[in-house]
Parts: sequence; structure tokens; C-alpha cells
Amino acid sequence: MIDITLGQYFPGNSFLHRMDPRVKMVLIFLYIFSVFIPQNWVGLGLAVAFLVFVIILSRLPVKLIFKSIKPIIPLVLITSALNIFYISDGTTLFKWGFIQITTKGITTASFIAIRIICLIAGSSLLTYTTSPTTLTDALERLLSPLKVVKLNVHELAMMMTIALRFIPTLIEETDKIMSAQKARGADLESGGLMQRIRALIPIIVPLFVSSFRRAFDLATAMECRCYRGGERRTRMKQMKMRVPDYISIVVVLAFAAGLLGLNFIFKSVL
Amino acid sequence: MPIIETQGLSYTYSPGTPYKKDAIKGISIKIEKGDFVGIIGHTGSGKSTLVQHLNGLLRPTSGKVLLNGRDIWENPKKIREVRFKVGLVFQYPEHQLFEETAYKDIAFGPSNMGLDGDEIDKRVRTAARFVGLKDELLEKSPFELSGGEKRRVAIAGVMAMQPEVLILDEPTAGLDPKGRDMILGQIAEYQKENGATVILVSHSMEDIARTTKKVLVMNKGSVAMFDETQIVFSRAEELQSIGLSVPAVTRIFMQLRGMGYNVGDNAYTVKQAVERLLPLLKREVGNND
Repeated sequence: MIDITLGQYFPGNSFLHRMDPRVKMVLIFLYIFSVFIPQNWVGLGLAVAFLVFVIILSRLPVKLIFKSIKPIIPLVLITSALNIFYISDGTTLFKWGFIQITTKGITTASFIAIRIICLIAGSSLLTYTTSPTTLTDALERLLSPLKVVKLNVHELAMMMTIALRFIPTLIEETDKIMSAQKARGADLESGGLMQRIRALIPIIVPLFVSSFRRAFDLATAMECRCYRGGERRTRMKQMKMRVPDYISIVVVLAFAAGLLGLNFIFKSVL
Repeated sequence: MPIIETQGLSYTYSPGTPYKKDAIKGISIKIEKGDFVGIIGHTGSGKSTLVQHLNGLLRPTSGKVLLNGRDIWENPKKIREVRFKVGLVFQYPEHQLFEETAYKDIAFGPSNMGLDGDEIDKRVRTAARFVGLKDELLEKSPFELSGGEKRRVAIAGVMAMQPEVLILDEPTAGLDPKGRDMILGQIAEYQKENGATVILVSHSMEDIARTTKKVLVMNKGSVAMFDETQIVFSRAEELQSIGLSVPAVTRIFMQLRGMGYNVGDNAYTVKQAVERLLPLLKREVGNND
């Protein structure tokens, strides 16, 4: 089975699930930016603590959060390694030829690793607690001021909705085609690189064909119902900001301000 | 010894998530060599899940599948060999076609088996003949063919592996009556000529009534009935109580009996109905004279 976390909505009824998606989206973006504010361990600790607090609020299984982090571990390791070897300031701990490890290198590397992990875990919270359609809906509202510069926000959001909507369908389709070819003895698991790439042809060709068929069908269906994007469409689900949303805004702003403040109180370690 | 046997077969989709679903629960059936078995049941009753276990595409959550008396998961590395012995034609199999020509597509299965060129050629042509594909069609791109022809190419692709057990998941879905008759006829012929074991999943009671010897009725992931076709369709009330219909002919017979006509046992194919009703009609006409 193919397992991807993108758009993997995990249904629930926690505080995070019930938040106005627009507010949630903006606040999570704000959080992601704030992760880059701290220059000292106290601030970074606060950022991690805040994330843990929000994860507890979301009542998601912790396993799920780890699953979202897993794919980026190589990236984290590579960036950390680069930093360790690249930075030559600070006290030298180890030196061998041109390789040199300093205290500052290690500090910077751990800062970067923790920041990336916070960033991914934070953004995965958004996709875990918001269904893809709600997400694009919120995005459309948030971007609607761009209409002034003649950007067709509705069409853009519609394309995204359709793309997201079809991810599970295409996964299912891929799964089905893979099963059908396996039933004919296709070997997808063994062999060298070239052999494996060649083994994908029986899956990719039918997948393309069916994607085009689906796209045409959908276009016809939309036209049959006289779909016209944009102006004067009303919505079934109205978004409304409520007291908890306002409280969340205040809390996150206070958190960001706090991080900025901590930078003045404690000495920068970077 | 049954060719295929399942013992307490259960399968759960997405275990441990809110989407968890028990697709089949404790299924134990025996299918003998040369049987022609129909599987009926509602959408979501677990028919497709069950057949995907029989050739090892799904691994049971619990329970066993025995092929010729041996657990197919005994050696997971050899599961491909099970798939050559138990051929599965999926729903809408024409969506899996990918080769440049119909010929090459049919040859995909046999060449995965590692057969030599002559044997592959022989098998492709035999399979194509079984599904009634003309030679000139074999050299065409499968995407140029009509819907029914594509379907037949796809079915030939599995037949060409000459499996001991051939499973077809709704092979007639979305075809016109003529295409349906044709494919069913070809499957029946294949079964007769090769003495193969055939399992046919279908929504159409008429298709099942016409072709199969035994019927497995699935309801909510469990076996509701598994018996001779005639016996299953004679239990029409039970079938209707789990929301399945009976063949139209059977319904007519039930109605006739309700109206007080002595029509005897339920018929479930048009041919049987003719045999049963014609003498009665003749007698009636005779009486009027």
C-alpha cells in the first residue's frame, strides 16, 4: 500500500479541528515563522513546548506526528552535517585534516534540526486537523484580496480542490492497477534499478490513461451543471470566527512576541 | 481434496485508524476442482476482498488460504507462483491494458512466467481464440479497440497464463447484452474445454443462474449461503430478506404460484422456464378445446 501523509485528514473533534480554518492556517504560518526567531536555548525550548502543547490540544495520536517527521529525517541529517563541518568558529573539539568540528557548529546544527522538525510537525498539524476541501476553501478566502491584481483566486482554489480531491482516488486507482498487474505476475519488488523502472511502465501507462479519462469526464460533468467559477457563488459552509479563534490569535501573537523578547534577555548562542 | 480452501479467513482494512473496516469475517469454504462457482452479494459485502485473498494479493489478517492443500503464504517469496495458478481478472480489466499491441498485452502474463517464445505465442493465440479475438485485432493498439474488445483482450491476458483456477470479478459490468452473452459464453466454453475451476463474481442473478453450478452468497462480510445454484435460488425469500434479488424468471414463477397455478419448482433460467411452462400451456389449450 502507498502511504502518504499529504492531505491525510485525521477526523476528530478537538479544539484544533473546530477552529476556523482561516485562523488556523494563518496562525500555523505565524508559528512556522516564529520558530526562526529564537537565538537562544530558552526561546527554542519555548517553541518546542508550545508545539507539544498544541499537539496535546489536537488529540492526535503521537504516532501520527512521528510519521510526518520520518520522511524528512535524511534532510535534517544532511543539513545538520553540513553545518557541523562548515562552521569553523568557536572552540574546536575535533580536527582531522580539513574536517573540523566546533562547539558552535554543533549548536547551529542542532538549532537547525529542531527548527526543521518543528516546522514540519507544525504544518502537518494543519493538514491532520483540516480536511483538504476546507483547507482550499480557507485559502481561497485568504487570497481573495488578490482579485484586485486580476488573479482569479476562485479558479486557482478550484484547481487545488480538484487536485486534492483526486489524490485518494488516484492512490486507489494505482493500487488497483498494481494489483491487476501483480495478478498477471508483474514483479515490482525485485531486480536492479533499470528493471524496477521498467516494471513501472505497466502501472504508469494505465494510470495516465485513466487520469485523462477522469479529467474529461469531470469537465463534462461540470459543464453539464453549468459551472461558472467566481462571482456570485454562495457557500454551503460559512466560515465564522468565534471566541476561541480570537483567543488563539492572542495566544500565538503573545508567543511570538515572547520569543522576540527572550532574544533581548538571553545572549545569542548562534 | 478441494483445489481451494479457506479456513476462518478474515481481513480488516486500515486497522488502527478511524477508517478501520472488517471486510470479511471468518470465511471457511471449499471449492472442488472443475467447479463453476458464482459469488453474489451486495456492494461492500466482501466479494472482491475475498477473491483477492485467493491469489494472494491480500494477506489475511487471520485465517488461511489453501491451494491444493498447501497454505499459499507458507513461503511469501513464492507468492507469484500462486498468482500464475490462480488467475484473477479484475473489475473493468480493460483499465490495466498498457502495451503497444493487444498481442503484447496478452503476452504480459505468460512472459512473466518465464516461458519461451513459442509457448508464449501458442498461449496468446489460444487465449485470443477463446475470447473470439480475430488475428488482425492482435496487432492493433489496445487503445484503438472498442470497449468490448478491450475487455476481451484483458480477459485473454489472464487466460493465457492457463491458470488452474480462473476468477473473474464482474466480467460483464458495463457491457451491452450482446457483449455480455458473448463473454459469458466464452468463459463457459473455456471452463468446459479445459476442465478449469472458474469463480465468477457478479451482480447479475441472470448471469449467475445461467452459468454456474454452485453459488456463494455473501452478506456483510460473511457467507450467507453456499450451495448448488438450484438450491440457492429456491430459497428466494431468504435472498430477498438480505436485499438480493432472484432472477426475473424465478420471480415470475413465484408470482404464478401465488396466483394459484401449479407450476412446480422455481425455474431460474429462461430455458428451464420454457421446459416447465410449455407442457402446462399445452394442457391448458387442450382443455379448452
